[in-house]
Order: sequence, then structure tokens, then C-alpha cells
Amino acid sequence: MTVPGMLDEVIGEATPPVIRVQGAGIRFRRNRRSRRNFKDLFAGRNRRARSNEFWALRDITFDVQPGEAIGVVGRNGQGKSTLLKLVAEVILPDEGSVEVHAGVAPLIEITGGFVDDLTVRENVYLTAGLHGMSRAEITAQFDEIIDFAEIGDFIDTPYKHLSSGMKVRIAFSVISRLEEPVILVDEVLAVGDKAFREKCYRRIEELLAGGRTLFFVSHSEKDLRRFCTRGLYLDKGILVLDGPIGDVLDRYNTDYGI
Amino acid sequence: MSTPDVLRPPRSALSRYRQALWLLTVRDLRVRYSTSALGYLWSILDPLVMAGIYWFVFTQVFGREGRIGEEPYIVFLLCALLPWMWFNGAVSDATRAYLREAKLIRSTKIPRTIWVARLVLSKGIEFVASIPVLAVFAIATGAVLHWQAVYFVLGILMQAVLTLGVGLIVAPLVVFFRDLERATKLALRFLFYASPIIYGITDLKPLGLDLIAAFNPLAGIFSLYRAAFFPAQLEWFAVGIGAAMSVLILGVGILVFKRTERAVLKEI
Repeated sequence: MTVPGMLDEVIGEATPPVIRVQGAGIRFRRNRRSRRNFKDLFAGRNRRARSNEFWALRDITFDVQPGEAIGVVGRNGQGKSTLLKLVAEVILPDEGSVEVHAGVAPLIEITGGFVDDLTVRENVYLTAGLHGMSRAEITAQFDEIIDFAEIGDFIDTPYKHLSSGMKVRIAFSVISRLEEPVILVDEVLAVGDKAFREKCYRRIEELLAGGRTLFFVSHSEKDLRRFCTRGLYLDKGILVLDGPIGDVLDRYNTDYGI
Repeated sequence: MSTPDVLRPPRSALSRYRQALWLLTVRDLRVRYSTSALGYLWSILDPLVMAGIYWFVFTQVFGREGRIGEEPYIVFLLCALLPWMWFNGAVSDATRAYLREAKLIRSTKIPRTIWVARLVLSKGIEFVASIPVLAVFAIATGAVLHWQAVYFVLGILMQAVLTLGVGLIVAPLVVFFRDLERATKLALRFLFYASPIIYGITDLKPLGLDLIAAFNPLAGIFSLYRAAFFPAQLEWFAVGIGAAMSVLILGVGILVFKRTERAVLKEI
């Protein structure tokens, strides 16, 4: 069962948490086609008919201190990505609360903001701007962003003409430059070639060394052990274990032995 | 535990909202101009062709002879047709506001009203950019500009409030009821004839319909625009009712938006 407050003792209560999730739950409809009516839509959150819904996450409670690196562990469909999206505040909980007290750089659907018809340069300014960077900040970092993505020859090429690998590289490059204290990573790195992936990992390590808070979802035990110090183990929408990453992975392996 | 090496100075939510709104608006305009050679021309060609058709039908075919509207009719028509384009364009685009930007909405946490607000803004900019067309026709036909032209500003303000309100109602509901997209198109076509565009609100007086028509906020708004050239078209009771209705619709819009936001985010 949930073990709230376990890490509080280790870290103490000197700094306020950067992320505070309390009793958070979210439910989805099982069937996309199921009938909806106006009454249903406007009924209060708790009075709604819920026959066709299931809880993707329920009663999740944990705090994250600045600088922690957290790995989320669990099988497919157990709510890992949903938890990440809750922390990114791109979806809202149906019960409980999710408070994030610092800016977030979400490496989730990173190519989402890019527009096919605009050039790489325009896209960099657009996406970084939408994530809150000012024009001057982007200009100052522009060369670094392009260098990192290794697409110097394509700055004025329309985005749609880039290869899919290049698209992900430039997107990662932009989002990972956001000077936000919290970084969320959702298996985006599964794409791209090995050399670039290694580069991304080094960048994440750099950011961690700079004191950022990391929230990492992955199926790779190696990556989890490499970056994370603390683990959250989700099973059937419930936070089963919250502890040091080694313990969490051991528990996961016992439950679903390899 | 070290603190982050670089920390951005905290910026207010409002300035971030403004920045994002501006970026998205510029993006829309840029995409339009980079993908079509005619760019700006397209945004004025549509109302021009429409105005041409109505001018021909009502002055040449039916021989209007001062029975509806005022002279010069083409200026009278454009005064309402250009802002109608703004309303029509923004509301019909609002039906796809969330669906088209689904990927971006899923990856950024910009306040979600922005997806409607940016449509109102970019169509509004197109409207302002089309005002020179009105000026050209006014000069060509010798229409006289009165001091009431200052009411243009009030008209724009009221229309922005109204359009945002309607957009905030339509956009989330379409996510759940796709049929609403078509229903909206139909309603807009009805509203085109139900609003004083090809006629003036004063033409409804003999029919005794002017009071009912005033509950359509567009009637008051268009009468404000028209006052620039035709001061007799200004009906303050229609403006008053229209203003109250616009604010009411915006209120309903904000309520609908707030109530559905959670569900919209899950759905897209």
C-alpha cells in the first residue's frame, strides 16, 4: 500500500515541496462511443453517472522536494503516463489535488507544437515561446539549440521536410533548453539513433547536476537506475510503493518477474 | 542538494498569456501568408465578392430604390458585412479550436481559453486590416464620414466580447457532440439573414420587429459601425440590449468552459 511520508523523514522538512500530489484521482470513460448527454456534462464532478468509467489513478499522494530524481515504474496501462500528464498539468484530476510550484519542461509529445509549414527557425521561436521563453532568451540560446540537434543546414527548411529523426532531435533540443526547474520525461527517447539518445541522456544528467527536479517514466531498468534516486511503483492505478529506486525495482521484479 | 544553476525571473501569468496569445496569432497569419501567394487578398476577397453579389441583386435586379438600407448601398452593406466576416470566421473556426490543436494542448499548459481567444484575435486583426477596403468604397461613392465613427471602437469591443463568449460555448461542446459543427454552420447562415446586414435595424421598425431583433447583439454592434456613415442607423436601445446580451453570453461562455475543461482535456 501507499507509504506516504516515508521520504519526508529522510529529507526533512526544511524546503517546501516543489510538487505536491494529494489524494489525486482521475477517471476515464471505458468506451469512447458511449452516449453522452448535456446533463451528464454539466452535472457536478461527483454526482455524475459513472457506470461506464474507470479510475486510471486513485488516491495518489506524494511530495517531491526540489532536486529529486523520480522514476515511475509499472506495467503498461497502469497510469504512468497519466501521472506524468497530471504533474505537467495538461490534464486535471477529478478528485484530490496536484500542485506544482515551479515551471515545468514537459518532454511529452514534444513535437506537438511544431507547425509543418513553418521553417525550423520559426518553429524554434514558436515552441520555446509557447513554453514561456522570451524572445531574447531564445535568441541567446538559438545556436546551441541548433547545434545540439545537429541540423545546422536546415534552419530555413520547412519543418515538414525534415526526417522524422531530425524532427524529434530539434524538439528535444528546444524543450530541454527551457530553463524550468522541473523536467518530465516520458519515453520520448526511445526514438532517434543510439548516439543521439546517449547525447540526450548526457543532457538530462547535466540538468540533474544543475539541481533540476526530474520525473522520469521508462521501462528500461538501466535508465531508471542511471538517473533516479527515488521510485514510484504504480499498479492498477494505485501507488503501491514509494521508496528508493532500487527497492522499487526489486519489488516490481518480484511482482512481475523477468 | 544544489539549486538550479539558471533561474528565470518569475513572470506574471498575464504576461505569459499575452505572449502565447500573440505567438499563436502571428503563427496563424504567418502560415496563411507562407502557404498562399495571395495572402491578404484572400481575407478581403471573400467579403468583396459577397458585397458585389448583394449590391447587384438588391440595387440592380430588385431595384431597391431606397426602400431598404441607405445610399450608397455598397458602403452601407460593407459596414456590416466586414464585421460579420469576423464573427462568422471566428465562430466557425471555434468549432475546431480544440480538435485542430489537440497535440499542442496535450503538451503545454497554457490557459485553455487561449485556443478560442486567439481565433477571435486573428480574425479581428483581419477585420481591422480590411477596413481600408471600406474607406476605398466610401471615397469612391462620396459617402460622408461623421464624427460617430468613434463608435467603431465601441463596436469592436462589444463584438470581441460577444465572439469570445460564443466561441467559449461552441468550442468545448463540439468536442463531445461532433454534429454541433454542422449545426453551427447552419445557425450562422440563419443568423446572417436574421441580423441587420443586407438591411438596417431601422427597416424593421415598420414591421414591429426591431425590439426582438435588438436581442441579437449583432444588431446593436452593426448599428454602431454604421453610425460612422449613417448616423440615423444608430439605435441606442439596440446597443444597450446588445451590450447586456454580449456580457451575458460571455458569462455563459466562461461557465460552460469552466464546467467542461476537465472533460475536454481527457477527450482530445
